[in-house]
Amino acid sequence: MRTLRFLWVLGLLPPCYCRYFSGETFSEELVIRPLPDGKVASRFEFTTLLHGATPRNPQNLSVEDHSQHYTLFPLALGQILREYAVTELHLTLNAGKWNYDRWGYPEESDVATGASLWAWMAEGSGSASAANARHRVDARWRDLRNALAGLFCASIASLDEQRTTSPGRAFTPVGALPAWPASVQHAFRHASLPSENVCTENLTPFLKLLPCKSLSGLAHLLNPHRLFDADWHGMGLHVSWRPNEGVQVRLTFQSVSDPLRAGGNSRDWSLRLLFDRVVDRACPVAASSRIIVTLPTKELYSVHPEPSSVVDGRGAFDLSDQSFPLDLRLRWAEPFQHATVPSAEAPLSVRRMLRGSAQDHGALAISITNPDSDPVSVVYLETLPWIVYLYLSTLELSVGGVRRPDLLQDISYIAPVPHGRAATLEAFLSLPARSTVTLHIGVGRSFLRYTEHPPDAQRGWDLPGAVVALLPAASGNQSSATDSTNKGAMQEMKKWNQPQRIYTPALLVDPATPDFSMPYNVIIFTCSLIAFIFGSVFNGLTRRFVVLKSPE
Amino acid sequence: MFSRLLLLFLFSWTWGTLAATPSHEQIVGDFFNKNGASGGSTSNHTNNWAVLVCSSRYWFNYRHMANALGMYRTVKRLGIPDSNIILMLADDAACNARNRFPGSVYANPGRGLDLYGDNIEVDYRGYEVTVENFIRVLTGRMEPSVPRSKRLLSDASSNIFVYMTGHGGNEFLKFQDNEEISAFDIADAFEQMWQKKRYNEIFFMIDTCQANTMYSKFYSPNILATGSSKLDQNSYSYENDNDLGISVIDRFTHYVLEFMERINKTSHESMADLFAYYDPVKIHSDPGVRSDLFRRPLSEVRITDFLGGVAQVEVGEGVPVDTAAVGEDQWPLQGESPAVPPVLPVAENTQERVGDLGGGWRGMRAWGGVLLIGGLVGWVGFRS
Repeated sequence: MRTLRFLWVLGLLPPCYCRYFSGETFSEELVIRPLPDGKVASRFEFTTLLHGATPRNPQNLSVEDHSQHYTLFPLALGQILREYAVTELHLTLNAGKWNYDRWGYPEESDVATGASLWAWMAEGSGSASAANARHRVDARWRDLRNALAGLFCASIASLDEQRTTSPGRAFTPVGALPAWPASVQHAFRHASLPSENVCTENLTPFLKLLPCKSLSGLAHLLNPHRLFDADWHGMGLHVSWRPNEGVQVRLTFQSVSDPLRAGGNSRDWSLRLLFDRVVDRACPVAASSRIIVTLPTKELYSVHPEPSSVVDGRGAFDLSDQSFPLDLRLRWAEPFQHATVPSAEAPLSVRRMLRGSAQDHGALAISITNPDSDPVSVVYLETLPWIVYLYLSTLELSVGGVRRPDLLQDISYIAPVPHGRAATLEAFLSLPARSTVTLHIGVGRSFLRYTEHPPDAQRGWDLPGAVVALLPAASGNQSSATDSTNKGAMQEMKKWNQPQRIYTPALLVDPATPDFSMPYNVIIFTCSLIAFIFGSVFNGLTRRFVVLKSPE
Repeated sequence: MFSRLLLLFLFSWTWGTLAATPSHEQIVGDFFNKNGASGGSTSNHTNNWAVLVCSSRYWFNYRHMANALGMYRTVKRLGIPDSNIILMLADDAACNARNRFPGSVYANPGRGLDLYGDNIEVDYRGYEVTVENFIRVLTGRMEPSVPRSKRLLSDASSNIFVYMTGHGGNEFLKFQDNEEISAFDIADAFEQMWQKKRYNEIFFMIDTCQANTMYSKFYSPNILATGSSKLDQNSYSYENDNDLGISVIDRFTHYVLEFMERINKTSHESMADLFAYYDPVKIHSDPGVRSDLFRRPLSEVRITDFLGGVAQVEVGEGVPVDTAAVGEDQWPLQGESPAVPPVLPVAENTQERVGDLGGGWRGMRAWGGVLLIGGLVGWVGFRS
């Protein structure tokens, strides 16, 4: 009887809390954008927000952490973030070369080839006692790399101090950094491995971090046999802290697919054609689940099914309104005409080359083209492994053959330490309107020790791509871009107050490789010589020659 | 006199009861032997691990990666979970730019079965597959920050299946065309594992040229080894795929996998059946077996003792499940009523308790001993 009396209290509770899981929200989105050259760029984004959470203060690392009970937030990742007191983390695994000239800016701007990892971590305790050595930023950075290498089945553990740098301006935090006392300053670490392969074993743990895995919702479309056949593909993990909301984990997967190669015979595409799968059912725990398609503006087309809403030239399909199985199809009425991207909409174009045929020196040549009618300020970031070192005194800037040293506003250079540390060059350039700026630097190539060569030494070493970051602060960057691709990128940039980064492809440099059979040759030769000399001396000292009478 | 008799009687009584109570080791041993006594496995392992190593790089060594992946698929199919498998692939074949079929690795020219699939975890890849890492995995001597998925966390009752493939020769195996591991290194690593009680039994299989020389140096107990070819013999590849342009699998591994296709988790096939299946005429080389370090007869060793993750289970009394309570964690599917979990069947108590097991004969023997001692004591006491 007493229990029945309190049943009326239940009526005060909110009627439907089926989407509210103790402060976590999961939402998913797929953005599909047909490109001017007939290919299709798609971007999956899975966001999990842990309401009210804050990053762990590294001063409290020796104190036991509160227990972690999550429903949607991935526990494997949460444990790594709390264990190493990481405030913000970004990991990208990409393969291919993003063609900015034909495809414009990507939805996710970090398209560096291979594996890239950068994180903001606050300093631990400052004392040098042994117990706290594990709490220092560098020790936690190493442990973080190992933990992520195990989680994502990637060789991130080899991003050691020879590949780790701390560039200052090109990378700024996406979220906020907690305002801890001045002794707990945040340090920034960045490392990249351009030769990393991305394959199904990286996608498997990616899917296991999602609440619905790949069984329902948009994650069901992630078919490795199609994704790794794409012209470009990349996955990303972005963890950041939003002060008023909580800790956000964003898992993204971008790819550029070719409908012609996928089996169609025109640029018409459908989900079945691109991914060989359709959306069978919605993820039950997703707060919002949408597909957004950029609809053609100048051509006749038909899209099936009808979008739930059309905003700004993009059709939104909300999965809660659609019927399943959902196969989106976009068909054009007229045959494909190869469009040239008008120069007003073309993004900044960067080319980087390594010149010279000698094996101990050469030159690095970079040309940046600014198609806008306004000047632009950029940061040019180069992180080179120590096997290639720059002769900074030979740095030359020129526009159209004319030397222009005034375009270089500032420079920050951290010299490499052979066998120890990578080089970091940050040059602040201002690019005049409608011009091509050429940077020319002399480089030298180190001679590696015998044990430092990788197993396939004749292939060479990959140099990570250079980063050209458009700084958002300068007024010259608010150019009037009318194309939806650029406008989307500019909006992204304004939204996060981020520098818009452009990556160049990785370069291959081949240092002089030794003859790896020489140690064997030297040992054999030396041993033979010693045996010959010793044998002769020994025989000379111990053998007696006696004259014998020959029998008659 | 009476007190002396009483003391002697009490002493013999306690001795008898102690003898009648099976010790803990006997209880555990009975549990495993019971499952084995019915004509099956006599193994007493509790968990299974697999270490699968492909030590060759480059596209033309696709067949070595297909070998390792074929074993990976078999081992997963028979029940070993990803957390208990250490897979080391020295190069990327599935997403290689030369691969006509991205994301797939096939082991036969008909491309029937994709060994890569949608769900795979490679623990060591690319440049991480080195001799040092392989020995560290076996011995467990690693830096503290190495994650769990890269560790061989085996214990004294683990059965470990170690499979190696690549290019090799007389008592050595090449890693990535750069360094080599010798038979002595592996033998010493296994001995370290034995000293540290990191395995119960090891099944070592190797598919390279002159493979049998690789297991000739083992000296630790409980190791069963098999190789694809003997000294001065090459191991050959099986068939070429004209679309991929290379050989896709080796002969020895192909026939082993063909045998394994008949095995599932409940099979009782033994190692003796596998070794009898070897046909040197088809394999084009002489496979060998080394079982002198192995204490059990091969006809009693099941394939699933090493390649499967079959756990020994004893079914006890059923526990009724309360299906009426539907917690708030059960969210309904869109448009459907909340799913009701199926009711677990109440299992009959079909097995006797372990303590009563086999205790009949032992108990009688113990009581007989008590009576005999009591009788002797009484006779001695009453004689004088």
